[in-house]
Amino acid sequence: MNANERVNVLIVGKRADKVARYDVIVREVSDNVFLAASAEEALQCLLQIDITVVLLDGASSERDAFNTANAIRQHSSLQKTPIIFVLDAPLTDLGQYKDYRRGAVDFISAPVVPELLRNKVTIFTDLQHKARQVETLTGELDILAGAVIVSDADGRIEFWNTGAETLYGWGREEVLGRYLDQVVPITFPMTSKEVLSTVISDGQWEGTVRRQNKGGQEVTVAIRKILQRSDGAGAIVEMGQDISAQLQAEEALRQSERLAGIGRLAGVIAHEINNPLEAIANALFLVRSHPSLKGEAKHFARIAEKEVARIQHITQQTLSFYRESPAPISVSIPTILDDVLDLQARRLEINQIVVEKKYRNDMAIAAFPAELKQVFLNLIGNATQAMVQGGRLRISIRESMDYSSSRRGVRVSICDTGSGIQPQEAKRLFEPFFTTKPNNGTGLGLWVSKGIIEKYQGTIRFRSLRLYDQYVTSFSVFIPGAVAAPSLARAASSA
Amino acid sequence: MKNEVILCVDDEETSLLLRKPVLEQAGYEVMVAASAMQALEVLSSRKIDLLLTDYLMPGQTGTELARAAKNICPELPVILLSGVTELPPDMENVDLFVSKVEGPQSMCEKVAAVLSACHKQESASL
Repeated sequence: MNANERVNVLIVGKRADKVARYDVIVREVSDNVFLAASAEEALQCLLQIDITVVLLDGASSERDAFNTANAIRQHSSLQKTPIIFVLDAPLTDLGQYKDYRRGAVDFISAPVVPELLRNKVTIFTDLQHKARQVETLTGELDILAGAVIVSDADGRIEFWNTGAETLYGWGREEVLGRYLDQVVPITFPMTSKEVLSTVISDGQWEGTVRRQNKGGQEVTVAIRKILQRSDGAGAIVEMGQDISAQLQAEEALRQSERLAGIGRLAGVIAHEINNPLEAIANALFLVRSHPSLKGEAKHFARIAEKEVARIQHITQQTLSFYRESPAPISVSIPTILDDVLDLQARRLEINQIVVEKKYRNDMAIAAFPAELKQVFLNLIGNATQAMVQGGRLRISIRESMDYSSSRRGVRVSICDTGSGIQPQEAKRLFEPFFTTKPNNGTGLGLWVSKGIIEKYQGTIRFRSLRLYDQYVTSFSVFIPGAVAAPSLARAASSA
Repeated sequence: MKNEVILCVDDEETSLLLRKPVLEQAGYEVMVAASAMQALEVLSSRKIDLLLTDYLMPGQTGTELARAAKNICPELPVILLSGVTELPPDMENVDLFVSKVEGPQSMCEKVAAVLSACHKQESASL
């Protein structure tokens, strides 16, 4: 038996002999008996202890007993505490207890028959326990059942539990009496009316629906509606579980499995391609420099070597994540960017692109140089390819702060005036094999870049704005943990 | 000055056949081994200046060979040459990782760089 199930009886009365007698009687059916000589003492006790039943001695002064009962009932937490009056004569003036209707009240005549008093105490005790059980069950039901809604046959809401408040955002008071299909209309797979008519004809309906919550957002809910015909008119009980989060988690899992699969595939392909590729490259290197090779044959060997170099470049850029050194080293960001600009120099010139650099020269971080080079080569390569008609490429390096994590780091912005990113492309930009350059890209560059930056716990973001008749597109890479390295900066500026 | 000796290990015959003359053109003497076991035999029988090994081979991998090789000659520089895309986890005995797709010129340059770094260390410690 837990504390809530203990039977605590409070006996209130001025006459000690009577109180003592009742005490002896009720002790047999209670765990604890508390005594009080006045209304004040009774209240004090009631507010401190969870009293199951109050026994009020009205035999000496009926008025005192009713005043005490009044005082008790004035407390909101005590309105349902059962009270038993002990009265000298049978009650004649019913008007006197009309105010106690909210709580349980009973009367017993003096002289008290012990068995009768014990019976009354036991009845109230049982009643109290049952009420508590119902309360607990309702609470549990709220948690277990999710959103429970009861509506009448016309669809007017009669009951709306806490789960429904949480799921749909509407408060109980706001929706009681309103039509369910107006408060939370079903948008998919059929209308609220169609669901309702199925429930009326078949007695129940079960399925997954999409509904709008109070804020106008869509939630996916698995619901079950049952028609109850207990009171003739009929009521519809609906139980709903929010499965939006579950669906999102499943989708994320599918997505990550797909990506992991692509990663494994890339690894296998890379290995199987890279081995013969090395042999071909070595063979061509030897052929080209072979003394017996003359004229046209030499020319063809050079072409073959150049084309193989292109394949090597592609597999290295797209399929490989390798690092040059086993541990990260201090990498100067300006040096890396200048190296990448050197690699792109010819294309920048052909496309007539003006390069503007705004470097903070002393930025270095601990990293694998090849990885960072790959990221910036991708971003600058994309920018260059987006500006076939010429344009401006602005690259800036500055110290920055990631406000979501309040970490310091280095931010590199690469800004171009090229063809821009269309809104429908924006969402898929970092997906593997997504490309806007069907003849020129693998669709892996940004995906790989994002993977690298995330490994450094950094972020990569972009914006593409239309200004008059041209686009300005900016990619911003943030890498935390940057430090100023004067020695490296000098090396970079002298290079 | 006598040519530096490179021990080149790969389970693929064609790869060895072509890598050997490339390194020879760059001025090295090249020994070849088709497995980690063969390589360890060569290492215990003569002086080698640099071990250039493939990673994925039947039997012991390149990184396992690196560990065994450093047990025999702790000063021996080791380059892991591979077509894999992710660095193997047990890289502690490898001095440099070189991707197979970097091409012959880059490979020779990196071999030269590792060897000259070793010489500097040697002369510093003398």
